[in-house]
Amino acid sequence: MTTTLPGSAARPRPRRVSLVTVRSQIFLLLLTLAFLAPVAWALLSAFKPANRIISDPLSFDPTSATLDNFTRMFADVPIGQGFLNTAVVLVFKGAITLFFAPLAAYGFAKYTFPLKNMLFGTVLITLMLPTIVLIIPLLLQMKELGWVNTYQALILPGAVDAFAVFWMRQVIAAVPDELLDAARVDGCREFALFRRVVLPVIKPALAGLAVLTVMNIYNDFVWPVVVASSERMATLQVVLSTLAQNITGNRIGADYATITGELLAAASVALVPLLVIFVALQRHFINGILAGSVKG
Amino acid sequence: MTLAVDTQASPSASPSPKRRANRSRWRRQLAPYVFVLPFIAIFAAFGVYPMLFTLRLSFTDWRGSGAAEWVGWDNYTYLLGNEGFWSSVSNSAVLWLLIIPVQLLLALVIAVLLDNAKLRLRSFYRVAFLVPFVTPLVAVAQIWVVVFDQDYGAVNAILNTFGLPDVGWLTTSLWAKPTLALLFLWKTTGFIVIILLSGLQSIDANVYEAADIDGASRLRQLVNITIPLVRRTLMFSLVLQTLAVFQMFAEPFVVTDGGPYGSTTTAGLHLYEHINRGDLGTGAANSFLLVIIVMALSLLFVRLLRAEDR
Repeated sequence: MTTTLPGSAARPRPRRVSLVTVRSQIFLLLLTLAFLAPVAWALLSAFKPANRIISDPLSFDPTSATLDNFTRMFADVPIGQGFLNTAVVLVFKGAITLFFAPLAAYGFAKYTFPLKNMLFGTVLITLMLPTIVLIIPLLLQMKELGWVNTYQALILPGAVDAFAVFWMRQVIAAVPDELLDAARVDGCREFALFRRVVLPVIKPALAGLAVLTVMNIYNDFVWPVVVASSERMATLQVVLSTLAQNITGNRIGADYATITGELLAAASVALVPLLVIFVALQRHFINGILAGSVKG
Repeated sequence: MTLAVDTQASPSASPSPKRRANRSRWRRQLAPYVFVLPFIAIFAAFGVYPMLFTLRLSFTDWRGSGAAEWVGWDNYTYLLGNEGFWSSVSNSAVLWLLIIPVQLLLALVIAVLLDNAKLRLRSFYRVAFLVPFVTPLVAVAQIWVVVFDQDYGAVNAILNTFGLPDVGWLTTSLWAKPTLALLFLWKTTGFIVIILLSGLQSIDANVYEAADIDGASRLRQLVNITIPLVRRTLMFSLVLQTLAVFQMFAEPFVVTDGGPYGSTTTAGLHLYEHINRGDLGTGAANSFLLVIIVMALSLLFVRLLRAEDR
């Protein structure tokens, strides 16, 4: 090191850095292309005549673009009802999670009370359980309550997600106690502390949780298939999955091309709202996860 | 400070502040119960109760109706001697091997590149990598079915333009697992990138500058500086993804239905097959065996991390 002249060491450095950035730009661009291609392909193909999707999967001719796949799909499956059901579940389940999870997390993070550690330990154990484990007893429970094919059954189980409590506890634990004590001296009551001090401070992480929660509820599939399979109660994902089973189940009177066209149309319709929400809120989501991080 | 001592000493002067202080202390003791209660109520009813129910179920031969007979450890011993159970676990283990090393390495490289604040298109990349993660799984799985179709799929069409023959991506047991692994990688890597980015944020930029001056190559910086400093975040991702891979259910359910020849019957899907046949006791026992496997793996990883720390 000491033998190299200052000039010779300094000159190549900028070139190396720029070469690295060019290479990493190419690498990242190719990779994002791979990440976006399947989605882009599905969205474009949904507008192609059904037989062309199959005979010529790689081309797209804007002049022959058609809505046929969409009209057939809308006539075939109750996707409008699916959207409505998903929306109802989203509003109620989302509201419950976003209010009660941080509230409970606040209780766990900033107070001491008997059995606290045991309770929180139970939360951690359920994080390890496969969700499918709970499906049999939950379904029996729903049958006993007469809740099969109801909104309650879609909303209440899993409404306060253990992961949400676990994550929010991490975030709230990082809120300085001095901040809370200062507000207490000012005469703030305990719930007002949560509402006026804690919630504003953890806003970024809360936004992250909001996006994650909306996404999980919107995309949830296994539980709705089991508990709400009737046509009236089917959520969007359930409608999608019944369509998917047609492709393997060889539905009578429909050929592969037609079903594929309908499938891609349905997938596009399901995908676009969430993509729009995500792109609109991505800053909050990413910053939220960055804010509520596991350090080191 | 003197002021605080003053207010604490003075309440005896007038009764009303004292009562108020008492009431506020009482409120403060009661508050956590009120905060935690709604969560605990829902959690107990729809989390803990079904969990205990399943535990009990795993020791019976219950098939969904009629009286349940206590069979002790029979379900567990049956599964431990059952070829289907072990092949489902080994399928998941193979998927784990196909997915986890690639995913952690790829996510780490992407995260390191995106951690550079001067990188152009940085926010575009962050969003683009997360698009598959927010796409509904059922939609993704369907896209996979169509794109990887042996006769009509886009992937084989691309291969054909290069003069390569068709590949039975989802129809041969050789390729079905890698195709499924690719789906999982594509879907979840963006999320791991963001988690790793959160770990990278806490690294002091000066560390790299010092390494740069010492002439350390990018690769050596990655191995000697970045990986040790983000090892906790890496471990968190490892545990999270191990859990996800062993529980994987919806992907094979929609894309391959466990085939061909059971090559994509994951541990999570096998469990569902018991339930679907109405063999609830065996399904419950299978669930808990899976929990034990996942817990053992997680503890192993955590222990390795601790050993590394010392």
